[in-house]
Amino acid sequence: MTTSTIKQENKTSSTWLNFVVGLVIVVLLAILAHSLKNWVYGIKDIGGGIPGKVLEYPLWAALVGLIANFVLKTINFYEYPKTGFRTELFLKIGLVLLGATISFKVIVTAAAGAIIQALIMVTAVYFFSWWLGGKFGLPDTLRAVMSTAVSICGVSAAIAAAGSVLAKKEEITYITALVIITALPLMIIAPLLAGAMHMPEPVAGAWFGGNVDTTAAVVGAGTIYGETAQQIASIVKQTQNVLIGVVAFLLALYFTTVVEGKKEKPSAAIIWQRFPKFVLGFIIASILFSIGWIPAAAKEAPFNAANLIAAMKDWAFCLAFVCMGLELSVSGIKKMGWSPVIVYLIVTVFNTVLALGVSWLIFGWLFPASL
Amino acid sequence: MKVKINEDWLATIIAFVLMILAILNILPPTLLKF
Repeated sequence: MTTSTIKQENKTSSTWLNFVVGLVIVVLLAILAHSLKNWVYGIKDIGGGIPGKVLEYPLWAALVGLIANFVLKTINFYEYPKTGFRTELFLKIGLVLLGATISFKVIVTAAAGAIIQALIMVTAVYFFSWWLGGKFGLPDTLRAVMSTAVSICGVSAAIAAAGSVLAKKEEITYITALVIITALPLMIIAPLLAGAMHMPEPVAGAWFGGNVDTTAAVVGAGTIYGETAQQIASIVKQTQNVLIGVVAFLLALYFTTVVEGKKEKPSAAIIWQRFPKFVLGFIIASILFSIGWIPAAAKEAPFNAANLIAAMKDWAFCLAFVCMGLELSVSGIKKMGWSPVIVYLIVTVFNTVLALGVSWLIFGWLFPASL
Repeated sequence: MKVKINEDWLATIIAFVLMILAILNILPPTLLKF
């Protein structure tokens, strides 16, 4: 056995160990968040007449993750377990499991409105962000990544757009940090505002799906507001996510032919490459539920398989919210300056207000989801 | 040879394995409560 082979094997086992240590940390933090939620849930008044049950688990999970993030960085033990902090993986597992609790009819009904909403929101927000970024003198690559992130779905859209326009690594890190910094407070503020406006759950869900930038925070906001809001928010956001591939292709086309002036065109295969395949899992799970292969959850004991699937879904989301807090990094923001932050915040406000009108129009009037 | 699985497919496979284990009662319904 050569020295390089031994080194390679050591590296592989060390990577696995890092992942397992990270995973154990995430699971322990999720259990802590869950315990905190249960502890506060029973308190009738936590102050100011607010009942403890409004503080749902996404809030605790993100908070516990943020504190752990700070502690791990302070004691210089953040890099070692980092590979186990997998927001996207846990979120996608939770979304596929969520599919097994939603009737396919609901998905089809909501998706009809969600497609119209996604087309309006993505187009309007993308071009507003692109235009405003230009006014503030941001580089084309940065505003392409930012516009895609803010108009579609945060982190994964930013990565897809960055690949199409060959953005710098620090631009992706920067936008990713901005997405999480704005999405975390929105996850809590949006349900509060929806409650103050007495929004019906389907409309609120559609609003969260349209305005909160990252899928994890959308699911978090929906969970805080109610079960139907969680379902509609997830459907609307996933419909929007499906557009990632199309936008990535159009961006690659624009940058190669217009910006770089090349004659060869990018392959349309990118549309499938960037397609969020877990959405197919979500749809298949919903079909299995609708044809009766997966039973409906029992309201009381004896519990069945569906109760366990619903519990696993909530645990998967809880792990994702913990990771969202753990993965927040603000170091990249200091390097880029304030202009992109200002652009991002203005676009987020624009996105929030526009999504409010569009979701009321579509889910309150045009396609009231029959749930 | 190192095989890298797309995260979307990985998440889908894990979710379906968990669902099958639950449906076949290999994981008891009361195993996890939320």
